[in-house]
Amino acid sequence: MKIFSESHKTVFVVDHCPYMAESCRQHVEFDMLVKNRTQGIIPLAPISKSLWTCSVESSMEYCRIMYDIFPFRKLVNFIVSDSGAHVLNSWTQEDQNLQELMAALAAVGPPNPRADPECCSILHGLVAAVETLCKITEYQHEARTLLMENAERVGNRGRIICITNAKSDSHVRMLEDCVQETIHEHNKLAANSDHLMQIQKCELVLIHTYPVGEDSLVSDRSKKELSPVLTSEVHSVRAGRHLATKLNILVQQHFDLASTTITNIPMKPTFSVFDQEEQHANTSANYDVELLHHKDAHVDFLKSGDTHLGGSSREGSFKETITLKWCTPRTNNIELHYCTGAYRISPVDVNSRPSSCLTNFLLNDPRYKIDGSLEIPLERAKDQLEKHTRYWPMIISQTTIFNMQAVVPLASVIVKESLTEEDVLNCQKTIYNLVDMERKNDPLPISTVGTRGKGPKRDEQYRIMWNELETLVRAHINNSEKHQRVLECLMACRSKPPEEEERKKRGRKREDKEDKSEKAVKDYELEKTWQDLERLKGILERGKEELAEAEIIKDSPDSPEPPNKKPLVEMDETPPVEKSKGPVSLLTLWSNRINTANSRKHQEFAGRLNSVNNRAELYQHLKEENGMETTENGKASRQ
Amino acid sequence: MPTVVVMDVSLSMTRPVSVEGSEEYQRKHLAAHGLTMLFEHMATNYKLEFTALVVFSSLWELMVPFTRDYNTLQEALSNMDDYDKTCLESALVGVCNIVQQEWGGAIPCQVVLVTDGCLGIGRGSLRHSLATHNQRSESNRFPLPFPFPSKLYIMCMANLEELQSTDSLDCLERLIDLNNGEGQIFTIDGPLCLKNVQSMFGKLIDLAYTPFHAVLKCGHLTADVQVFPRPEPFVVDEEIDPIPKVINTDLEIVGFIDIADISSPPVLSRHLVLPIALNKEGDEVGTGITDDNEDENSANQIAGKIPNFCVLLHGSLKVEGMVAIVQLGPEWHGMLYSQADSKKKSNLMMSLFEPGPEPLPWLGKMGQLGPISDAKENPYGEDDNKSPFPLQPKNKRSYAQNVTVWIKPSGLQTDVQKILRNARKLPEKTQTFYKELNRLRKAALAFGFLDLLKGVADMLERECTLLPDTAHPDAAFQLTHAAQQLKLASTGTSEYAGYDHNITPLQTDFSGSSTERM
Repeated sequence: MKIFSESHKTVFVVDHCPYMAESCRQHVEFDMLVKNRTQGIIPLAPISKSLWTCSVESSMEYCRIMYDIFPFRKLVNFIVSDSGAHVLNSWTQEDQNLQELMAALAAVGPPNPRADPECCSILHGLVAAVETLCKITEYQHEARTLLMENAERVGNRGRIICITNAKSDSHVRMLEDCVQETIHEHNKLAANSDHLMQIQKCELVLIHTYPVGEDSLVSDRSKKELSPVLTSEVHSVRAGRHLATKLNILVQQHFDLASTTITNIPMKPTFSVFDQEEQHANTSANYDVELLHHKDAHVDFLKSGDTHLGGSSREGSFKETITLKWCTPRTNNIELHYCTGAYRISPVDVNSRPSSCLTNFLLNDPRYKIDGSLEIPLERAKDQLEKHTRYWPMIISQTTIFNMQAVVPLASVIVKESLTEEDVLNCQKTIYNLVDMERKNDPLPISTVGTRGKGPKRDEQYRIMWNELETLVRAHINNSEKHQRVLECLMACRSKPPEEEERKKRGRKREDKEDKSEKAVKDYELEKTWQDLERLKGILERGKEELAEAEIIKDSPDSPEPPNKKPLVEMDETPPVEKSKGPVSLLTLWSNRINTANSRKHQEFAGRLNSVNNRAELYQHLKEENGMETTENGKASRQ
Repeated sequence: MPTVVVMDVSLSMTRPVSVEGSEEYQRKHLAAHGLTMLFEHMATNYKLEFTALVVFSSLWELMVPFTRDYNTLQEALSNMDDYDKTCLESALVGVCNIVQQEWGGAIPCQVVLVTDGCLGIGRGSLRHSLATHNQRSESNRFPLPFPFPSKLYIMCMANLEELQSTDSLDCLERLIDLNNGEGQIFTIDGPLCLKNVQSMFGKLIDLAYTPFHAVLKCGHLTADVQVFPRPEPFVVDEEIDPIPKVINTDLEIVGFIDIADISSPPVLSRHLVLPIALNKEGDEVGTGITDDNEDENSANQIAGKIPNFCVLLHGSLKVEGMVAIVQLGPEWHGMLYSQADSKKKSNLMMSLFEPGPEPLPWLGKMGQLGPISDAKENPYGEDDNKSPFPLQPKNKRSYAQNVTVWIKPSGLQTDVQKILRNARKLPEKTQTFYKELNRLRKAALAFGFLDLLKGVADMLERECTLLPDTAHPDAAFQLTHAAQQLKLASTGTSEYAGYDHNITPLQTDFSGSSTERM
């Protein structure tokens, strides 16, 4: 595969001399009588195209097919030649389309039959063609710049397709000699220039065209090497559709094209729009469409030995076409299919009804399309992936926060590069909401897979959740100052001091109540404290395990919390009154009853007897073990 | 890619080799030893690949059809009989048949030919085959090049000196040339012994059977993977960039896209992406036989319990109906996707696109793809009911732009009739009438077909005279106006024949009483 092969640059040189204004002597009926017309009207006389018109429309058809299949990197330079050379476009990609060429041709107009034939020659065009082949294309330039010291690898080859009316074989020789001589000269010039390139290889395709019914004065000649740089071939072709067929064959040869005919395409309701104008709207015959494309598309077919060769195509030209049967997909399932190649196509008969039905069907994909591309470089996408994966638990049981709908507003924005004020507000709201949930003791979706029993207790669950959330937010604090603010909010809400204050207040109120409260309540409180103790032991043990396995516990420097602290806090937040209202476990009911019964039987505690103002500090040994905490949180001093 | 081992079992393979120690070895024993090593390597690193074993002398036989069971292959090695003379051509024909029958013509296949370099005598010998190579018809075509993408590795149970003493080496080199240079000859370095055979097969393994290990990355998530079969180097342009490109061992995911948007793109090759447990710190990739099978198994067992990114990725792609775009190298991308094997089983696979900035025209330049959140407006719409793809090309193709082609008379006749049909429905069809008229005018001017403009003008004038009494008065005005404009254009004078000039409808007003305005 070579990008800079001969087909990278094609120069069309079309004769614009007075002779080309001659009729091709092939008539076209254009005034077709339509049904239901008044009788007795004589249709207008048929008209015929000039040699020029035939040449131009055939070359435009060549370009159409080429541009369809190779919208890039295959370039055409169009030159018309009369008393001088008129170069109609340049090698730049913007100039490479049919509209530009058509407009330029219209500006040139048909040859003037009354011009002086002596002044006019195809030679002007051929010289200009060689000149233009030396000019560097933007693709060649780009490749040379990219290759730096290997710039010489970029080839400069090209093809000149010359359509003219030659006088004789020796006239053809003369044209060839002229091209060879010009190449020689221009290569010398190009050798000393930075913006010109020497021609390494040039394929000259001379097409002699003449009116139908005349004898050709020029004989066909297959490709011949005239010099190491120049090869030449001569085609003698009658004008009219013969010339068009010739150019169609050439474009296939030059660009390695092959033909496929799609057969049995049903006239679906989608197509019928195109029928309405026609008289035969109700015929629902299946139709066939012949397409051209790069012949690589057939490689696998030919290898498999299963050549669906349908013989020569309907055109009756020499090429062979492979027939494929249209297959309407049965489902609308979107799936990936294994695809070894995708090829651009061009319909052979572009504006025939079947062709336009097919192409319109394919183009009218209901999907939305936008012009231009999204101007976002792929690097931004990589950045985003980096941010999104900073904290990404791989399995569901490893995460709490990503199983919580309540966390979504924060988790979805915290990964952003920058946050708006609104985002920060939403994050804060999310955090407050979580605090609220904690206060209400809402259950958390913590996985119990792999743990014995019911898994961690509620307070423990919240601690895990807070830690995980903190890990997530911390992963992004360097994104912006606003991210930092989210973390601050999080730390403030989950840290102890403010809550402590609140609890103390509440605690005091409760004490007042307690003075008047019944003994049963006190008993209940006692029982609760006893339970707490049991739990405390468990937590202390579990905490050790957790410290080992979950590093996240430690990484909250602002709130160095011993594992036993939080549960205690939690416990306190639920007022006992509420608790007794709410669902009480059978164990609690039973213990309460037993305790109450027992309290009547046993002696008063020594502590209570020694109490000041009916208060005694219990479990003083804990105070020694855990520092000041037990007293600090004002718990044990209650009774 | 599948492998066919083609083993020479001619008598010359039974020639004894003087080896240290008491036991007597024949060349075929050395060959079997080398192949054992290859099979063991494949059993460890290429578990999923299929291998077949063919033996040949003057005839050939498929000993083991394509299988993943390396024990069967191993057993077959020890059950080989000795036969007559070497006849390589028929064996290669056999290989062609076996491979085409099993895999068709598109799957690349490696052929490992094990021989002693004695290439037979008389008809059917390689010398004879090569001498008659140019006199062949299509029906008895020489089997090389193989009719499928292939590599031919020739393992010689002989050293270089021995082969060079006859023309054997030249003949074997011809074989590789005939296979378009796809392949290589291996010979034994030094004396013929087990150790040197091992090192020869070691070289083959290094060249053709090293597993491709890579790290799959997506931001901070990573997984060690084996890409299977090994992605082959790719030449973009033999002239300007002749160095084959190889894919990165860091496969970085750059984004995700809907399957509907990427829509079955053409790919160079496709590969399984298998998570692997690396062997401890050494991470010994490739060479030789890994004799610590047990260790590896336990490593795999442990790996099975650790959450793996491949599993997460595969599951997500499957559920979301998306593919991941992966960077394979500079300006080279591929895609990762879930491919269903059967109803229950599916695999994570990777396909390689052709290298270049824009491998899939309907997605535009790869570098221009970016995160949705960067777009001012969600290109998929708030309800995910639209898509920015396929991108529209800047220049529409001919079939999408209503081009005018009059090469066949029917093309021209259709265009003229369209004008005529609309002319009869004036003034309702005024817009379409002028649109079609201008289209015809433009094409006629570009093709220098001025006679047509005159002809159509005449036709419109005739239509004017044929208007029924019931016709709207505007019809006559428009027809006359259009005919007149076409006539002017047909003079070719620049004033009226400008390509970009459009004939506009005549401004008439029949609403009031001003009919005499004209």
